Amino acid sequence: MDAADPLLDNMPPDPPGAGPSRPHLRLVVPTSPPDDAERDQLDDWMVAVATRHDREAFASLFKHFAPRLKGWLWKTGSASEEAEELTQDAFVLLWRKAVQFNPERANVGAWLFTIARNLRIDRRRAIHDTWTTLDDMEVQGVVDGGDGQEVQLSRRQYDERVRAAMLRLTPDQRTLVQLSFYEDMSHSRIAAQLKMPLGTVKTRLRSAASCLRNLLEECRP
Amino acid sequence: MIRHHPDDSLLLAHAGSSLDTGAALLVESHLEGCLRCRQIVQGFERVGGQLLEVESEQALAQGALEAVLARLDAPVRVPPPPVVRPKPSLPAGYNWPRALRHCHLSRWRAVGPGMRWSRVTVPHDPQANVLLLRIGAGKCLPRHTHTGTELTQVLCGSFDDGRAVFGPGDFDEADTTILHQPVVQAQGECICLAAVDGRLVFDSWIARLASSVVGL
Repeated sequence: MDAADPLLDNMPPDPPGAGPSRPHLRLVVPTSPPDDAERDQLDDWMVAVATRHDREAFASLFKHFAPRLKGWLWKTGSASEEAEELTQDAFVLLWRKAVQFNPERANVGAWLFTIARNLRIDRRRAIHDTWTTLDDMEVQGVVDGGDGQEVQLSRRQYDERVRAAMLRLTPDQRTLVQLSFYEDMSHSRIAAQLKMPLGTVKTRLRSAASCLRNLLEECRP
Repeated sequence: MIRHHPDDSLLLAHAGSSLDTGAALLVESHLEGCLRCRQIVQGFERVGGQLLEVESEQALAQGALEAVLARLDAPVRVPPPPVVRPKPSLPAGYNWPRALRHCHLSRWRAVGPGMRWSRVTVPHDPQANVLLLRIGAGKCLPRHTHTGTELTQVLCGSFDDGRAVFGPGDFDEADTTILHQPVVQAQGECICLAAVDGRLVFDSWIARLASSVVGL
């Protein structure tokens, strides 16, 4: 992506109190994902937490993921203080729900992402039974394999292909996919930000999302 | 069998929590009954996980890890008992989507022959234009188009709007380009959850009058 890309010149504004200005969108393009050894290490830590309530492993996961999670929450719409609180809450939940983690199916990053995302949604909705709704969410998110297709492909291979799928999108498509992970970036807001007709934004988003889904489905045997 | 699903971009936006209130409620209601879409959303959530993996870091507050460690063994907070909000009746064998559990649903009100509606109030966003329509067997909605997007999730019964037949669990998105007249099939009444972004524009003055009463 270069600076002439019109999609990149129209970043969402910083919310009040968001702290330092947000990094340029290009920073979220996958550049240095963890290598295989690091992934094994992350999995091992998570399994140790799930099976042995291992606090040291938990602390290691926290050190690895918490700053990334806070960075992601902040960039996608939370003020700094909220990003801090949500990150801490997410890790408390990760500990409590650890027994539901199945390394065959889930990956720590995606799991943490869904926990933090749902915590933020519930906070917005002022829902006070957050911990109850999360019970449902986790069961659904991890166990919902349907016909079990995904099991045939190892989780590692699937992750690899999810990464490859993102890289196969065009830069415009990738930007639109990333914008979909920004809080409150409804289609009409994206249209306003990009100064594009709503119809154009919808068409482009549809094509980007379908393209991504097809690439992800190719991942499944 | 579900034949009509939310568009991929809606599912992606759901995974990224960037849908506005009405659309989020509709997509969540659909996902409750649709394994296919839940699996697509899970794929998109993996993408979210990967964005997280390569996210630039932001330092946590001093003592954050210690604070979290201290909370790990705290007794699990018992959630307050859920507020039971009275809901209007549904035909036997059908349940309200879980997604509506926090919403206030007004009683059924007649808005025309064989046509009733209920306002869905979402507590955190009372401005969201969400409603339930309950239309008798063989009846039809007046022909209309939209100034924005109309999302519909069929809860029970089925209707045919000239484009396709929509049955229980089906999802529809109609926009300004679609002028349609949903006709409920003869087998039974049809109840739909709808989120309207903008207004419905009816052909006839009587329908316009009715819509101004409903607030569409």
